Amino acid sequence: MSADDDMREALDTFVTEARDLVQQLEDGLLELEAHPSAAETVNTVFRAAHTLKGSSGLFGLRHLVQFTHVVETVLGSVREGDLGVSPGLVSSLLPCADHIGAMIEGLAAGRLEPDAAQAAEGARLLAALEPYLPDGQGALATDGADPAGGDPAPERAWRLSLRFGPDSLRNGMDPLSFLRYLASIGTVSRVSTDAAALPAAEEMDPETCYLAFEVELLSGAPKEEIEAVFEFVREDSDIRIVPADHQLDAYVWAIRAMPESDRVGDVLIGSGVVTELEMTEALRIQQEQAARSGTQPVPIGEILVEHGIVPRPIVDAALNRQRKTTESRSQDTTTIRIDAARLDRLIDLVGELVIAQSSTGLRAGAGEAQGEVMRLVDEVRHSALALRMVPIGTTLRRFERVVRDVGVELHKEVSLVITGGDAEMDKALVERISDPLLHLVRNSLDHGIEAPAERQRHGKSGQGTLRLNAYHDAGSIVIEVSDDGRGLDRERILAKAVERGVVAAGAVLSDQEVYDLIFEPGFSTAETVSNLSGRGVGMDVVRRNVTALRGSIEVDTARGVGTTIRIRLPLTLAIIDGFLVGVGSASFIVPLDRVTECVELPPGPLGRDCMNLRGEVLPFIRLRELFDIPGEPARRQNVVIVEQSGQRTGLVVDALLGELQTVIKPLGVLFSRLKCISGSTILGSGEIALILDVGPLVADHSEREHLLRARPAA
Amino acid sequence: MAKTILIVDDSASVRQVVSIALKGAGYDVIAGVDGKDALAKLNGQRIHLIISDVNMPNMDGITFVAEARKLPAYKFTPIIMLTTESQEEKKRQAQAAGARAWVTKPFQPEQMLSAVAKLIAP
Amino acid sequence: MTTRELRRVALDGELTIMTAAESKERLLTALPGSGGLRVDLAGVEEIDTAGLQVLLLTRREAESMSLPFELTAPAPGVAAVLALAGLTTAEEQ
Repeated sequence: MSADDDMREALDTFVTEARDLVQQLEDGLLELEAHPSAAETVNTVFRAAHTLKGSSGLFGLRHLVQFTHVVETVLGSVREGDLGVSPGLVSSLLPCADHIGAMIEGLAAGRLEPDAAQAAEGARLLAALEPYLPDGQGALATDGADPAGGDPAPERAWRLSLRFGPDSLRNGMDPLSFLRYLASIGTVSRVSTDAAALPAAEEMDPETCYLAFEVELLSGAPKEEIEAVFEFVREDSDIRIVPADHQLDAYVWAIRAMPESDRVGDVLIGSGVVTELEMTEALRIQQEQAARSGTQPVPIGEILVEHGIVPRPIVDAALNRQRKTTESRSQDTTTIRIDAARLDRLIDLVGELVIAQSSTGLRAGAGEAQGEVMRLVDEVRHSALALRMVPIGTTLRRFERVVRDVGVELHKEVSLVITGGDAEMDKALVERISDPLLHLVRNSLDHGIEAPAERQRHGKSGQGTLRLNAYHDAGSIVIEVSDDGRGLDRERILAKAVERGVVAAGAVLSDQEVYDLIFEPGFSTAETVSNLSGRGVGMDVVRRNVTALRGSIEVDTARGVGTTIRIRLPLTLAIIDGFLVGVGSASFIVPLDRVTECVELPPGPLGRDCMNLRGEVLPFIRLRELFDIPGEPARRQNVVIVEQSGQRTGLVVDALLGELQTVIKPLGVLFSRLKCISGSTILGSGEIALILDVGPLVADHSEREHLLRARPAA
Repeated sequence: MAKTILIVDDSASVRQVVSIALKGAGYDVIAGVDGKDALAKLNGQRIHLIISDVNMPNMDGITFVAEARKLPAYKFTPIIMLTTESQEEKKRQAQAAGARAWVTKPFQPEQMLSAVAKLIAP
Repeated sequence: MTTRELRRVALDGELTIMTAAESKERLLTALPGSGGLRVDLAGVEEIDTAGLQVLLLTRREAESMSLPFELTAPAPGVAAVLALAGLTTAEEQ
């Protein structure tokens, strides 16, 4: 029998088999209409479509493959529980079974392609299935049957270092077989076997692979194809494919001739010297290293060289290409790198200059020249602080990869839109806000944005959108993480809060108060803990981190429309807008953003630690007592009212000395255990003022009060 | 001497087309209609490569592969599993059972031939 | 000076992972007390990396005992594999 006869016979088998499968499909669909949740039937129907697709592919029946792929995808959603069986769905699918049947009968009559009427019918049926499809999964990417014609690619020389995993042989993977296969995609010009790893005779396990090979290959195939030769052993082996030494110049020249790009990776992939797979692997190594050492990531070029993926001259050429891009783009704003410590020293000095200058200003009746000096000093201070400022865009753009990877993992399609990337903030702050932002982004991807099928059921586009936006507002920087997902579920949050004892049952809360509950410790509404954001790090940690940076966080949400988390941070940690107060001879600075108002301490006898503020009980702290400051209190004392986490507390002081902007000097290590003081500053008079850390101050105080009350007899 | 390949798939047309392609490339082919049937064919005869579908009646591909690996004559035989894009979990199970190579359905006969050629010469 | 004769070992069938343990045993035990090995490969139909490793190991052991090690009469397919690893046969020498 000839091969043609064999194929004709196989086609007959296919027709018989397919008729049977179409029948199963039809019976199953009818069965489903009667019992929409019969899991076994769903499986049978799905498998019928699946097998039909698989076999059609073997015979190169592209129309059938494409058509059954769509049917299979819809049935797959049903099987996964993403899509319910409705009469509408069954009515759309039944004619599809008929259509497949008609195609099969055509095949039996010798027609391999659908006729025009059938093709039109197929398109119409698929259009009717469109609403049931997860976004973008309809069309099956069919690689063109005809391989790209045109000129054959020029041959290039490659050096392959192949170190197979010790278990390769036991897994049935014979290195020699792969070497033999290489000859089918190019010319193997040299092979050398490295047997150095062969152990002593008695220790040598005859089933373990000890050999490594160096191969020189001349091939016109793209690197991806050479890489694919080793796809089955890639995981357990060390496979390196680099251009042969004498080929390096050719790559360097090719890269020089390439269009500009701002990413080294794109340049390298574009030149064909690195594959996407290798780049992904290198990026993974880069991230892992950075995470392990807690330092800035090593440049990707270095990793590629270090791991023997790309020779250094080629990386250097790509870096040059990139540098040129940056240079030509930024024209006159050339940048230099400065050691952060030097910058800090400069800012420190400028801070002292400001202080020294203000003390001279205090004494002399400022002449015109002195006014000019003051203005210049002020400007110097501003420019010095600006040196620490970096655009936040770099940090935000890092999330592109996170969004992409997490999206793939969760089978969600999400596009990331970044706006306001050129808003600047203190470098130290940028670094410290990165983790909280990462958490928020993952949270949005995980809990906010719905699966494509669910989105479509709610009439949204299957693709979700995550927005990162940054802008300056009244001396702060605001960073927003918004999604167009399902929004917060007020009732569920409230129920959970009651269950956890965070709020009393029956409490009446405003919407905003309910939404703010998500920032409470140990609060997570996700019923299933996913492996992304459910790792015990909650929104409370995010809020704590933000508060530690003297920032605030709030949430805006609308059911079914989306959620925006808004972080507001000071532009820098180096200066602070403060409110200067005096107690005896000591001075303190209260961060201005914590101060809500100042009142006079009512005269006469008071409760031990609270006063009446417009009919409300206001607890207060006497700073004189707290810090053991000697001397008599002033005759008329004042109360600075601060707010922390919605709780208001008064600080009793002698004198209110007014607002000022001041440079923070961190406390030395000796004082690092002081909980209520966050830093110090030198006043114009040369005196030192301590900066109060309102959070711990208020928290500590209420804790002490509790203890005192618990032991009234003591 | 031509090498022998065992193809296991419950679809007769898949078995037939794959057999035709492999024979055309110079291999000897025997076929099994499901895991149970294939296991019975592993009677000690030399088989150089096993190609197996995953979802099959009677005995699925993963169980079959795990069973085959327990037989001394087939503990090192290379195995190609026929998978679908959406079967990551199955793939992990198959890997644990001893398979290392994959061909994704639907495939063209040429794709199968190239996967086979990487593992054994005719 | 007496030169002991090369000991002849004939391998046949498969020289693969299926037989590697057995081949290793045969070749290595044949070395001590011999005047070197002459391995006849005429009957070998198939060789893989496991088989190649065993030959390389035996050659190394022979060299460490300063004994000659020869391979003879491989089929063309087997000879091609040997060449990859720099194993030459007696005929080529």
